Amino acid sequence: MNETAAPYSLQPWLSAYGDQIPRDLAPPAHSSLAAYLRDASREHTTRTAFTTCMPNGMHGSLTYAQVDAYSDAFAVYLRQVIGLAAGARVAVQMPNCLAYPVAAFGILKAGCVLVNTNPLYTPAEMEHQFRDSGAEALVIVDMFADKLDGILARTGIRKVIVAEVPQFFSAIPRAVIRGVMKWWNRTLPPFTAPHIRLPAALAEGEAALKRDRIDVAAYTRDVGLDSLAVLQYTGGTTGVSKGAMLSHGNLLNNLDQAFAMGRSHIEPGREVVLTALPLYHIFAFTFNLLAFYGVGARNILVPSPRPIQNLQRAFDNYRITWVSGVNTLFNALMNEEWFTAFPPKHLKAAVAGGAALQHAVADRWQKITGTRIAEGYGLTESSPVVCFNPITGTQKPDSIGIPVPGTAVRLVNDAGEPVALGEAGELIVQGPQVMQGYWNRPDETARTIKAGWLYTGDIAVMDSEGYFRIVDRKKDMILVSGFNVYPNEVEDAIAKMDDVLEVAVIGVPDERSGEAVRAFVVPQRDGLTDEAVRRHCRRYLTDYKVPRVIEFRKELPKTPIGKILRKDLKAEFNASKAA
Amino acid sequence: MLTEFETRLLGLMMMVIMLGMGASLTFKDFRIAFRKPQGILVGLLCQYGIMPFLGYALAVVLGLPPALAIGLILMGCMPGGTTSNIFAYFSKGALALSIMMTVCSTLVAVAMVPLLLEFYSQMKGLPSEYAVPAGNVAQVLVVLIVPTLIGIALRKWNPNVGATIELLGGALGIFVILFLVATWVPRNHMLLATTPWQVYAAAIGLGLVGMLIGYLLSKGLRQDDRRSRTIALETGIQNGPLAVLIVLLTFSGEMQQQVLLIPVLYSLFIVLSSSAVTVWFRRITTREELARDGAKVPTGLAPAAS
Repeated sequence: MNETAAPYSLQPWLSAYGDQIPRDLAPPAHSSLAAYLRDASREHTTRTAFTTCMPNGMHGSLTYAQVDAYSDAFAVYLRQVIGLAAGARVAVQMPNCLAYPVAAFGILKAGCVLVNTNPLYTPAEMEHQFRDSGAEALVIVDMFADKLDGILARTGIRKVIVAEVPQFFSAIPRAVIRGVMKWWNRTLPPFTAPHIRLPAALAEGEAALKRDRIDVAAYTRDVGLDSLAVLQYTGGTTGVSKGAMLSHGNLLNNLDQAFAMGRSHIEPGREVVLTALPLYHIFAFTFNLLAFYGVGARNILVPSPRPIQNLQRAFDNYRITWVSGVNTLFNALMNEEWFTAFPPKHLKAAVAGGAALQHAVADRWQKITGTRIAEGYGLTESSPVVCFNPITGTQKPDSIGIPVPGTAVRLVNDAGEPVALGEAGELIVQGPQVMQGYWNRPDETARTIKAGWLYTGDIAVMDSEGYFRIVDRKKDMILVSGFNVYPNEVEDAIAKMDDVLEVAVIGVPDERSGEAVRAFVVPQRDGLTDEAVRRHCRRYLTDYKVPRVIEFRKELPKTPIGKILRKDLKAEFNASKAA
Repeated sequence: MLTEFETRLLGLMMMVIMLGMGASLTFKDFRIAFRKPQGILVGLLCQYGIMPFLGYALAVVLGLPPALAIGLILMGCMPGGTTSNIFAYFSKGALALSIMMTVCSTLVAVAMVPLLLEFYSQMKGLPSEYAVPAGNVAQVLVVLIVPTLIGIALRKWNPNVGATIELLGGALGIFVILFLVATWVPRNHMLLATTPWQVYAAAIGLGLVGMLIGYLLSKGLRQDDRRSRTIALETGIQNGPLAVLIVLLTFSGEMQQQVLLIPVLYSLFIVLSSSAVTVWFRRITTREELARDGAKVPTGLAPAAS
């Protein structure tokens, strides 16, 4: 054993596993997601699997048996009716609603590959993703189907299936919601793309299923753990969106890994999980959708958590026991009197991912709800979970926790050699959840997966107990006159000002110092000057870390789950310099 | 005046509206309203402290003749109107607080209204015998409370039914507001032409100034912005039909017609001004919601020394 690798090879985090978390990860109990989903459906038949809860409290639900039957019908529709082959890519583009699990599970049961697509994409982004993935069919929500008008002909999509947010609701609530969407909110634009409605597709699938006595399980007979299940697109760090190839094995292992970290707080058949994060995002997809389906939980799907009042009826009407979210969501909830005055009584645990969880948010949450937010860490490329704070046992603030079972993590320097304990290095991961590579991009894959290790591009530090803390993105690091400056550190310092609402820090080329620190600040109120910000910075930061230029903004570019996009700010800056 | 049939129809519609209002609530909302019980006390103070005095003051300042002064003071002494709850709902206010305030001010009306009327009438040297129909006050309470409770229960039983009824109640609320204005104008348009400006000022001012003072007082007594806006609407909106009824029971002949003038005018203008204020308040509330949504975590640090 290499001596410097010792701190990681010893896996000091194993002692933090306690008696609740298994040290070794057993191989998945199923050979495919289709088999996993089918078993869960058969076990929990009459239980409610999904409930969509609208902001006004209107709702529709599907039982496990219904999800099973509808997704079977959809699988038959894809394979038998429109004649897709196994492994064909099928894109799904919709917000959280009952149609999502039916479509996604149907695709997996058909032995096809699910291509999760952000419904807020622009037509150009949609075109790129559909062409890149080679999608042959698309399930899209009617709210955004008008975006297909200009691009459909330029993609390989030959069948468009249109779903709606109140899909599977009973007649009156469905009519009311559609009426409100059409006439009041005006979110149902007319569209011209030739299409079939989801219920009609299901009816055709079901008819074919009965007529031809199809055994749906046969579609996935040849599917194994190494078969491709999902293409999960990620802008990653380089900007151009590429598809992470997640296999059935990747996802089955990762949901087992996630489950292992929380199983002390999960009672099969009794959990109610609030899904306010979008299912097309890998965090909610693996954690809320796949992992909780397997334990017979009821998933409360909220189509949009903004404004945060949209969640009030969900908390009022259901006995929520688990909630997953990002920092901004937890923070927004705690700014609401209805939440803080009567926090959910049945809540057992909350988990955060996607972006760093702020210390103050975690503390307030514990005071208000009596439960802790367990922070985790993951990437699209790792299905996503890599690390988690154990729900039982020690949780460390500002830490992403410890590696989940079956996962090896190391911190390495630029040469790929492990750094000593306590030193900052790039976090690399090995485990059954690591993707197979980027779809049709061997060069990108080779740059990201080296000798079986996934290079995350995140700089982290490990303590002696095996807990990791993220320092920053490697490529966001700023080199000022030979000194390393981590934007996170500068951002944290500036964010401490009460007059500052949000802040992002990037490095820009500079003639004198090589790179200079530039801050983008969204002020909380008018009248904030750059001198005041700099003065504040000098109280917390050494001179070379204090921003050279401070630019005030009304807002900052963000991802759908609220992560600030430094790369967009950089691109903007470069473009303005080039012009 | 409305015919007997129209009055009943209006009562029935009011019940459906309150059913819808109730369906937008849970008992939790009432418990949140009671978390700051001062809100209700502030409301009572506005309702029975400020409004009667405002009516009296306006009558003096505008130099209204006795019959009109009685009408104005009477209007000021009324409990909160049930339409205030519709406006509270549409302005995204604290509906539970609004309902609690209407219920409380109506409950104490039986005792407070005669007392206040006597007090202010004597100050103006006016007759001080008024008939306050306890039965009608009880009816107001029933129309308010029973449907609200049924609405809450329906929503708890089935959120789909609750949301549908809430939507129906809201739609009917808008309809009733339009109905009130639309039926008022053809019946009373003659009044509009012959009424002197002082009477307009009194009828419009009572509601608007009442809202303003109600808001400032609530803010002064440390109610948050949303509660203050709710209390403002509740303060400005009085139970017009009850005032009309008291006049009808107490006065007769020419005097009755004169005393009725201000309650009738008030009933029209309060609907118009409340509608405008509601649109404004709703915008403010929406803006606050969005701001809260994006608000950052309190840092617990003092602002940087500057």
